[in-house]
Amino acid sequence: MAEAQKPLELILARNLLSSISTPAFLVDAEGTLVFFNEAAGAMVGRRFEETGALGPREWGETFGPFDASGQPIPWDRLPLTIALQHGRPMHSRMHIHSSNGELHEIEVSALPIVGTEGFRGAMAIFWPVAAEDGAAA
Amino acid sequence: MKVKVWGARGSVPAPGPETNRYGGNTSCVHVRLDDGSELVLDAGTGIRSLGLAMTTSAERIHILLTHLHMDHIQGLMFFAPLFQATTDVVIYGPASPEASLMDRIARYISAPLSPVEVRELPCQVSFRDAPDIEWQIGSASIRANSVAHRGPTLGYRITEGDTALAYIPDHEPALGAPLDALEDEWISGYALAKDASLLVHDSQYTDAEYPAHLGWGHSRITDTLAFARRVGAQRLALFHHDPMHEDDMLDEFVTDAAERWMRLGCDPGQIAIARERQPLEFPVATPS
Repeated sequence: MAEAQKPLELILARNLLSSISTPAFLVDAEGTLVFFNEAAGAMVGRRFEETGALGPREWGETFGPFDASGQPIPWDRLPLTIALQHGRPMHSRMHIHSSNGELHEIEVSALPIVGTEGFRGAMAIFWPVAAEDGAAA
Repeated sequence: MKVKVWGARGSVPAPGPETNRYGGNTSCVHVRLDDGSELVLDAGTGIRSLGLAMTTSAERIHILLTHLHMDHIQGLMFFAPLFQATTDVVIYGPASPEASLMDRIARYISAPLSPVEVRELPCQVSFRDAPDIEWQIGSASIRANSVAHRGPTLGYRITEGDTALAYIPDHEPALGAPLDALEDEWISGYALAKDASLLVHDSQYTDAEYPAHLGWGHSRITDTLAFARRVGAQRLALFHHDPMHEDDMLDEFVTDAAERWMRLGCDPGQIAIARERQPLEFPVATPS
């Protein structure tokens, strides 16, 4: 037999994310960031082809995110981590550094991916918060 | 193992003079292992003729369903061994969170679609979710993995000694991303088909037909060839023929596929096309 293969649910999720312009991350059941799409790459200033897969805490440290005061948000409080560890959707606002170093507010929605054979991973989509939305929040 | 096709058509039976040579029955492949174990891959309408032809002394018949679309189960109620009290039939299929395999199949084998209920079958029949780890049937090890198709769908790898048969009749591995752009571990069905002696694979559409059927769960011939080459299959059998594809068209289809296979640097003699009631041959081992 060949080496271990990614579960079909992750393969299909990656194919979907690679085909959309909504910035998105995909992590496997162990929390490894196994893919992010071009739109997410544009937001964080790095392409997946440059970073490759990143370990559970590694991707948090690499991309932030930060609270409004610029302090890093603990990894276990990130929506993607909550989806991963608790198997439930999570939505929140946070800040990230863009490629030019500016702090930008974004909204993040994460959801678990559960296949017929159990928990497979999680995905998160990101959206920049428009200035007027941020003021109203 | 010996492999024989009893139905190679996809989607819906397509009987008629235009399809006589390749056959109009839907997916069914019979595998007899070297120890005499009997495996049936899918229960399309081809399984009816298989059941009538079976003269097995095996105590048990194993039916491995890839999924429960009609073209893969429609012949089940016409499989003669199900009506023999002495026969033990084990049916494997994809798991679903929604209902058991038996309950899902019983939706077809029940009123108003069928005059006979599952519980009325005189044979010993049992239903099992295909395990997600390799298991043994007779002299072969069996592996089932989910593959890219609409709804829960499996492909199977049957390994006996040095021979491996990969059966992935309904598969769209290039949906959303060209195969050339994907690493091995991100290709649906890759592990099942890797270095298979014989790969029986979906080739439902021509390249011209495919755009109108994108996402329907089937492959265009370009992707079938790319997948087979990528996994290093020694021999490829084109399968799941579109019901619109008549014999003359399939003649040209396989000839064109062999030429393209050769242009990919492979042996055109290793491209076959599934034909009803015909065996599928494994490549002849060449002495090293």
